[in-house]
Amino acid sequence: MLGTMNDTTRAAAPGRAEVSAGAAVSLSGLRKHYGEVRAVDGVDLVIAPGEVVALLGPNGAGKSTTVDMLLGLSNPDAGEARIFGQTPHDAVASGTVGAMLQEGSLLEDATVGETVAMIASLHRRPMPVAEALRRAGVEDLAGRRCTKFSGGQKQRVRFAVALVCDPHLLVLDEPTSAMDVSTRREFWQSMKEFTDAGKTVLFATHYLDEAEEFADRVVLMRGGLVIADGSVAEVRSAVSGRTLTAQVPGATVPAMLALPGVRKADVRGQRTELDCEDSDAALRALLAGYPQAHDIEIRALGLEEAFLALTGDTGEATR
Amino acid sequence: MKTAYLGLESKRALRNPRFLMFTMIFPVVIFLIDVAAFGNGLVPGSKTVTFAPYIMVSMAAFGAFMAAMNTGARTAVERAAGWQRQLRLTPLKPTGYLVAKAAVGTLVALPPIVLVALVGIVVEHVHLSAGGWVQVVLGVWVASIPFAVLGLLVGQLATSETMQVFTSGLMIVLGFLGGILIPVTVFPNWMQHIAQVLPSYWLADVGHSALLGNTDIGTAVIWLAGWTVVLAFAVVRRYQRDSARV
Repeated sequence: MLGTMNDTTRAAAPGRAEVSAGAAVSLSGLRKHYGEVRAVDGVDLVIAPGEVVALLGPNGAGKSTTVDMLLGLSNPDAGEARIFGQTPHDAVASGTVGAMLQEGSLLEDATVGETVAMIASLHRRPMPVAEALRRAGVEDLAGRRCTKFSGGQKQRVRFAVALVCDPHLLVLDEPTSAMDVSTRREFWQSMKEFTDAGKTVLFATHYLDEAEEFADRVVLMRGGLVIADGSVAEVRSAVSGRTLTAQVPGATVPAMLALPGVRKADVRGQRTELDCEDSDAALRALLAGYPQAHDIEIRALGLEEAFLALTGDTGEATR
Repeated sequence: MKTAYLGLESKRALRNPRFLMFTMIFPVVIFLIDVAAFGNGLVPGSKTVTFAPYIMVSMAAFGAFMAAMNTGARTAVERAAGWQRQLRLTPLKPTGYLVAKAAVGTLVALPPIVLVALVGIVVEHVHLSAGGWVQVVLGVWVASIPFAVLGLLVGQLATSETMQVFTSGLMIVLGFLGGILIPVTVFPNWMQHIAQVLPSYWLADVGHSALLGNTDIGTAVIWLAGWTVVLAFAVVRRYQRDSARV
């Protein structure tokens, strides 16, 4: 189901093999183990130029490790990462990629303008410092020291630091964690100019709504693997579903799957769990057909369940 | 590109309040107090050198060594703040980073030397030949290179919390035992032997020799160059291990 989904929804996009030739990002068989921990356990990912991709997943899914290897901050045990066909080191050196790392802080004894200028002075073809400050929406902070800034201001300064090398690809590792909703919105607003220029963005996040709102494509990682990869529309449709659980005497999987609005059914004795795209229709039919059903609960799908729904029963999700 | 970077880094170092305190104000104050206390007498063990020029050179050396060492040591803060990771996302190579930081440490060692020398001329009326001034100012400045490297080593070993303990400890050991804060000539023999192993002794010696009209500083150069090589080796080793852990 994973494969078909990609084929149908991304039919207009070039095939994966064609894309990988001029890909913005190409990860193949990327693997990194820390002792027993398989932080990244074989990740393949191709991102076309101009795509805005959200790398989603719970903590410990391997997002940051993947990002580190993509940027050449750590070396993979196996596999390779390429950015516009360059090794991570070459891409960094040529200013092809800019990045905002997780929890990196700023120098407290330098002003915003100096911080950005310092990074700019190291790059070969930087954009003017004032331009980077303007694009990140921090021109008004240029003369201020990087102390006592709010989380949102700090991140925007770090955005200017990432932008100043005038990159084609921007990698952001949880750029908006510890920001409130309105600050997050402002942050993404300032990002828009960059993506509108046709640049590529890969951002790691654990906010599903953020991925939905700002990404063209969502890649879900769990346990060091990519377990789902699809368009935002697919995610949204999956998330719009509900899970219905009930005690249903006499329930069987085929009978439950026959109910309207049910995508997936799990029956253990009387205990029935239905993954529904239309829980209202499913509930009406359930009560009509099984009046003795009781202890009924309906709840929204969580992030993981949404993606499990996306991956369907191909076994991909539990590999 | 590199000049702009060095300029901004130097600006940061010079702006640090601890830097101003220990490298600009402290040496000048000690200089003035010592001369006031000891007067115009001869330095113990010397037949020609008076206190004013002697303490001037000692304090120039002290300011230079503190400036160079503190600047390098502050890389501990950058390391803790994740700034080194940010720099790894620029074309700056690890060796480039270390060389740049050592260069900045050496650069900012010059202002305290010049300041102490100016106070020497204006307030204490120290007279030296032109060659003597060159040896005191430029000689001590160049001799501060190993201390910039020493600071880098501290920056790699210490955390942002323990960094000040390290630098204060080194200030005491190198300042007192090296004969910068106390004239080495008052030391008992065995302590003079210890002093002559320390780079701070040779740093001050470059300037003190000028007071005797002695331009033969070959031994000092060998000792200081030796310290630079050993410390640089340790810094590079440590930096490689540190980044390999990532």
